[in-house]
Amino acid sequence: MLDGELYILPDMRFAPPKQLRIADRSDGLNPERVRSYNERLVLSLLLQNEGISRLEIGSRTKLSQQTVSVIVRSLEQEGLLARGQALRGRVGPPTIPVLLNPDGAFSVGIDLGSLHTEVVLIDFMGGVRFHTKVAPHRPGELDTSSIIHDAVNQALLTLPADVRARVTGIGLAMPDDGNTLSGARETPSQERLLQQELEQKFKLPVFVQNDITAAVGAEMMFGATRTSSDYLFFYIDALLHCRLVLNNHVYTGNQSVAAGSSDAGLLSLKREILRNDSMPFDPLTSDWTQLGDALDRWRSECIGALKKSTRALSQFVDLQLIVISASVPSEVTESICKDLQHALTGIKIKSGELRTAPKAVGAGSLPFISRFTVQH
Amino acid sequence: MRTVLCFGDSNTHGQMPGKGPTDRYGPHQRWPGVMRQALGSSWLVIEEGLSGRTTVHEDPIEGPHKSGRRYLTPCIQSHAPLDLVILMLGTNDLKIRYGQPPSEVAMGINVLVHDIRELTAGPNGSQPEIMIVAPPPMLADLHEWNSVFAGAPEKSQRLAIEFEMIADSLECHFFDAATVATCHPDDGFHLGEEAHKALGLALAQEVEAVGWPENA
Repeated sequence: MLDGELYILPDMRFAPPKQLRIADRSDGLNPERVRSYNERLVLSLLLQNEGISRLEIGSRTKLSQQTVSVIVRSLEQEGLLARGQALRGRVGPPTIPVLLNPDGAFSVGIDLGSLHTEVVLIDFMGGVRFHTKVAPHRPGELDTSSIIHDAVNQALLTLPADVRARVTGIGLAMPDDGNTLSGARETPSQERLLQQELEQKFKLPVFVQNDITAAVGAEMMFGATRTSSDYLFFYIDALLHCRLVLNNHVYTGNQSVAAGSSDAGLLSLKREILRNDSMPFDPLTSDWTQLGDALDRWRSECIGALKKSTRALSQFVDLQLIVISASVPSEVTESICKDLQHALTGIKIKSGELRTAPKAVGAGSLPFISRFTVQH
Repeated sequence: MRTVLCFGDSNTHGQMPGKGPTDRYGPHQRWPGVMRQALGSSWLVIEEGLSGRTTVHEDPIEGPHKSGRRYLTPCIQSHAPLDLVILMLGTNDLKIRYGQPPSEVAMGINVLVHDIRELTAGPNGSQPEIMIVAPPPMLADLHEWNSVFAGAPEKSQRLAIEFEMIADSLECHFFDAATVATCHPDDGFHLGEEAHKALGLALAQEVEAVGWPENA
């Protein structure tokens, strides 16, 4: 030892490098257990804000640029992220966006609707790669379970075998207020049964959520409300459903008195149609342009209900945005939005951006949320 | 204006493959010069490449000044404040005289990163950002250098992964030069003009991708 130099032992600076998960370099998705909080933080941010730069990631997460660099590199290696081309503006340095890789992860979403069960396979950016409608699930009837299994299997088979390991899970959206077209009600034990069956059969985690809340989640993650945190959300289903979103938290309302739902949905439209003639009507397959007066009468009823809910809530919350999603043709949703906008000045009215099976897509987002994001 | 220091060996100096020790590519041809042109006037690019430089080893034959660690402190302090230090070293550590496996070369990089951080030579006493660049693997035939670098070409294949592990654990930026450039067949371990150009452009993009707040 040289005179005057002080050595503090042990010197941890020069210990061998920590074996971090990135070090194993194997292709494919890393197992769930090793995803760090900071990685989830970065992925959450990218799911909400596609194509932001590493500088923005750093400033929003408060992580250092070097930490962001390590995380982005490891997520690129895993195939979850892709590097965008440099964008050169007239002033300032070019920005290089960090992009999600749509092929980085997949999931299956199942919506146990009252008319149909819809099954989708979605990619990491919410793109619907597969969509099918099958008979509605009737708890206790074995056939309907196996029909769902077949549809899930079909969804998985659309991916090449080597990509199937990137399927992160299955999401199950189901009504839980009992007020469905058929009146069928999923009891908790039956919910668990289907969940367990799917888990055992496909060796994938299965997540369950209320279907309307799933539709809110779909718009939040992939659609109209990616950058909004406070809004009123309507879903036109058999009934008209309503959810209040404040600071990205979804408020369902009091289920026992069905405050979140009102009878101005498709059941009401069906009654209007039946009043005129006995034409059978299926909102997913019938020709809406032939409905005539019945459609107009239902639409005013629906808009009336939307206005009523909005006004009631406006007494407590400063509403700036309303999002309307529906399992009806997009022209019908657009016309409802337009009429409502006319009646409610000062609040922005938007239709949902997800056109294909929004509730099933929302269900499909559940495995992504569990595996890749920071949950609050 | 931002400042980047390029701390490396003969491949940062710009030594021509298969030529004598004084044959050097011009200022616009070697990678720091290519990077300087790509980054434009908002960056000051400082070139510090020395032929034969190792990470931490004093060369028993060419002299102690070949140790990167020995020169690092005066070099960093001379050029401070620095926003970014790019380290591209490791090839010379694979000479038979040092007898080092690739993991030990990465430990040498690890030491330099710690030294740079302790010097707090960034703006306002902060630590500069550090980017570790793994040199491209050596070719199998090193001509008259085969004996000096006996066993090195095979070891050089593992430098990138060892360096990336160090970069991850120390939280540094990292770039694998092999993704854009290969060594020139004239001597098997120096970069030719095309490789310098490709590396300079790629590193300019890596530097920009780090993200630099305006007026900071």
